[in-house]
Amino acid sequence: MSEILEIRHLEKSFGDHLVLRDISFSVGQGDVICIIGSSGSGKSTLLRCINFLETPSGGEILYHGQNAATSMKRTRYNSRVGMVFQSFNLFGNMNVLSNCVLGQMRVLGRKRDEAEERALTYLEKVGMSAYRDARPAQLSGGQKQRAAIARALCMEPEVLLFDEPTSALDPEMVGEVLNVMQDLAGAGMTMLIVTHEMSFARDVASRVLFMEGGVIVEDAPPSSLFTSPRQPRTQEFLRRVLARQL
Amino acid sequence: MAANIPTNFFSWVSFLMEKYGDLFLKGTLVTLEVAISGTILGFVIGLLVAILRTIPLPQGRWYTRVPLKILHFLLNVYIEVFRGTPMIVQSMVIYYGSMMVGIIGRGTPVLPAAIFIVSINTGAYMAEIIRGGIISVDQGQKEAATAIGLTHWQSMVHVILPQAVRNIMPSIGNEFVVNIKDSSVLNVISLNELYFTGKSAAGSYGRYFEAFFIIALVYLVLTFTVTRLLRLLERKMEGKKHYTIHGSQSDSASRITVSMDGKGK
Ligand SMILES: Nc1ncnc2c1ncn2[C@@H]1O[C@H](COP(=O)(O)OP(=O)(O)O)[C@@H](O)[C@H]1O
Ligand SMILES: [Mg+2]
Repeated sequence: MSEILEIRHLEKSFGDHLVLRDISFSVGQGDVICIIGSSGSGKSTLLRCINFLETPSGGEILYHGQNAATSMKRTRYNSRVGMVFQSFNLFGNMNVLSNCVLGQMRVLGRKRDEAEERALTYLEKVGMSAYRDARPAQLSGGQKQRAAIARALCMEPEVLLFDEPTSALDPEMVGEVLNVMQDLAGAGMTMLIVTHEMSFARDVASRVLFMEGGVIVEDAPPSSLFTSPRQPRTQEFLRRVLARQL
Repeated sequence: MAANIPTNFFSWVSFLMEKYGDLFLKGTLVTLEVAISGTILGFVIGLLVAILRTIPLPQGRWYTRVPLKILHFLLNVYIEVFRGTPMIVQSMVIYYGSMMVGIIGRGTPVLPAAIFIVSINTGAYMAEIIRGGIISVDQGQKEAATAIGLTHWQSMVHVILPQAVRNIMPSIGNEFVVNIKDSSVLNVISLNELYFTGKSAAGSYGRYFEAFFIIALVYLVLTFTVTRLLRLLERKMEGKKHYTIHGSQSDSASRITVSMDGKGK
């Protein structure tokens, strides 16, 4: 398996507050990695460092073996590593189709016709092509998130980062988004997903990372992490969470 | 002429209107020209300044931040200076200053200088107004733009500023109204704007009250009209209230128009 991303000894502090400590792991082609952990453990910060929305304080991020911070243009790197946000962040001043077309034209230099064609392909994939003319404000949460996934897919990234993509949704809409993500996983998309949906992690992930206090406590396949966690801290977290969810 | 010297307020007003109506009209056009171009150019300056002031500082070694910090400092100085001094004083300093260093000569028309002064003054106010507008746009919009690989400039132009400007339309309109009124200070550099023509008309017969009563009415009509037009424009900019759903399960070519209140039509 070729590594797309390799995170080495990543560190992040906000002022004196050390939020990430010595984070190391790699993301290979086709991996679906779920990151779990309680609130405040640094999961979002980790994802945001990986696409440089936050500047890491230490360590490095290798993209195909090259230092991503120094060896390539930030805009190009960001177009290769997509991101889906908890709060969707669809561009409020344009309709769904334009949301999907903007990056293709401005970053990848595609012509409008081609960009719209691809946008429709991906909107179809997430079941949103009928809503191409709608503005974000006119959509439900689940529809917004599916459109946001289509927007990310349009850039044809190598890795997609998801930061709690279903946490802002009403319960009845969680399923439609998870289904889309499961389809993507089935199609071989490489994904790094911060989630509280334990059954999704168990069924879809190839690996699960458990984070606490800014460190990765355990990194294992879901079969072993959920059934026989090694670390006491993982056991404790799962006992608390699984009692409610599975 | 001497036979029909007006005797009361109303006859003075109509006398002045008859004699100076054309002059007042010209003054009105100059005032509008300065206010419109000054507001538009000031808006463009404000946009540029706001884009430059929101460039994130590079996170590398300290010296990579120096050029941007200097730029930010200079832009702050520009804003402080032009917001912190009256436009009437700016007019004198800029106009006579440029004359002293020979940028403009005695015979140069004052209109371009006037438009320059109003633009640069408005730009300083606009920069702050637009900055407020940018702050009012959810931080997540910029992050999403960055995350798909857009540059700072592209995110600003395509995503942030359109939303920011929509939020601050009332303040932008207000700047225009202020410029209609405050362009009157340009009479100090002898620009033939509305107030200046009023002064000329008043001086000839010593009828200050009647002349400026007319001038006041003209200003009021201008600002009132502009305020109404801007309100219409604001309503227009609130955007479409309906959208089309393409295709349905039974008929892929069907179109359904949905309005914001949720009713199809
Ligand atoms: N911009 C920031 N400034 C200061 N502290 C922050 C910032 N972002 C996150 N933190 C802190 O970092 C820690 C981890 O936050 P976060 O990564 O959001 O956790 P999680 O996503 O796992 O809930 C928290 O203690 C949070 O308060
Ligand atoms: Mg989080």
